[in-house]
Amino acid sequence: MTFWIRINMFFRSFFLQAGWNYVKYQNLGFALVMMPFLRRLYRHDPEMLPTVLKRYLEAFNTHPVMASFCFGAMAHLEENVARAKSVTEYKEQVAEWTGARRGLSITAASIGDRLFWGTLKPLTLLLAIFIWMLLGVNFLETDGRTPVSLVYGFTAGAVAFFVYNSIALFIRWQGIKIGYESDDSSCFGLTRFDWNRTIYNAKRIGIIFAIAIMLFGVYRFFEGIRVDIHFLARAVLVLFFVIISFVTRRLRIPNVYLYITAVVIFNIVCFF
Amino acid sequence: MTLSLILLCILAALLELDTTYAFQLLLSRPIIAGPLFGWLIGDMSAGVQVGIFAELLFTDVSPLGGIIPPSGVVGSVVPLLLYAQGIELCFGFFLGVLGAVLYSFFDALLRKTRFDWLIFLEKRIDRKPTDIKRTIAVTLLLSFLMSFIFISVLAWGSSQLMFILYPYISARTHFAFQLAYLAVPWIGLSTLIPAFRLKTR
Repeated sequence: MTFWIRINMFFRSFFLQAGWNYVKYQNLGFALVMMPFLRRLYRHDPEMLPTVLKRYLEAFNTHPVMASFCFGAMAHLEENVARAKSVTEYKEQVAEWTGARRGLSITAASIGDRLFWGTLKPLTLLLAIFIWMLLGVNFLETDGRTPVSLVYGFTAGAVAFFVYNSIALFIRWQGIKIGYESDDSSCFGLTRFDWNRTIYNAKRIGIIFAIAIMLFGVYRFFEGIRVDIHFLARAVLVLFFVIISFVTRRLRIPNVYLYITAVVIFNIVCFF
Repeated sequence: MTLSLILLCILAALLELDTTYAFQLLLSRPIIAGPLFGWLIGDMSAGVQVGIFAELLFTDVSPLGGIIPPSGVVGSVVPLLLYAQGIELCFGFFLGVLGAVLYSFFDALLRKTRFDWLIFLEKRIDRKPTDIKRTIAVTLLLSFLMSFIFISVLAWGSSQLMFILYPYISARTHFAFQLAYLAVPWIGLSTLIPAFRLKTR
């Protein structure tokens, strides 16, 4: 795999999910990403390309960032298919390619979902909130919001954007190379990183951040309020929703439905 | 709808592509989209608040497998478009959340029906592999158009609805919406702590 093909695959990987559907998932995007490599591999036998592409248009679904490991590994295995000297060897290599695609996509999806959606995205959200709190943006007040400058408004979001993407783009870029250079003994390079340790450490940072922001938020929410009926009303509101959120989380009820229910119940209570 | 509102809907539809179909750089997450729309409508503090509230509220649903979380872009742009027209954030946010949930159902429907016409384009790719770029461009264009139509209709419909209902909204109803809006960050923050629960190493 040349450097320019890797760059081409890297940029095309941003469109992996362009044709997402419930039957074959990311198959179109997968074929799009692999196209530059396949065209080069079969440049002496272009009639083979439509037949080869059929395999790439089968169902494929994984995490969009971790998919880079699959691209590298599939390219590596496709070379073995192209090098097959007999029909039997060709069938064996295709079977290995199909098995690896299925297995690797599931493993990569599992790691990606835990690392990116389950850890990094909420962690960067907390980081952004923390920065806004440090900059003095009091987003908890719904009445009489203090104006926020342009720089302060965008700083926290920009930091969250760069932190998330520096990791995601690094994995997108390196995954293609590592996947291509590795074999099934190291799960096509997936075992090169200690994902569990990374997720564990990130979650440890996350829980400290979450508790710190919660406490800081409580302090800001009650700052400057005398102990009277307003203070008690706010305290009851916070305590009620903190407890109910823990309960709904255990019952796997999304926050959105809790909010909509709160609007309906408050309206009924206020009406009577 | 004025030209500026249409332009905001175009920007929202472009950002919505980033959620799933292209790039996935998370430019579409509410903490980025919220301040951006807030700045465009001329109230950055409202944008930051809506952005944080929407992201905290939607953060517990991840796009795992075929799950489609409520749209953060719709949840941010609808309240801010309504706010720009003089409707309070507590009402706009509620309509935005309903719109975001509706959008996830709409997107699921699009994904279900997309395969019916993609199968024809796939046959063309079988014959001529270079057609794949055009197929991807067509799917992206259609996704953009569908998002734009949905967001525009939702923004226009909810503003018309609010203009009709606004004079009849009592102080009690206003208080109920305010109270629920005030609870949003606490709902979100309390679900983030269990999200970082250390299960295994």
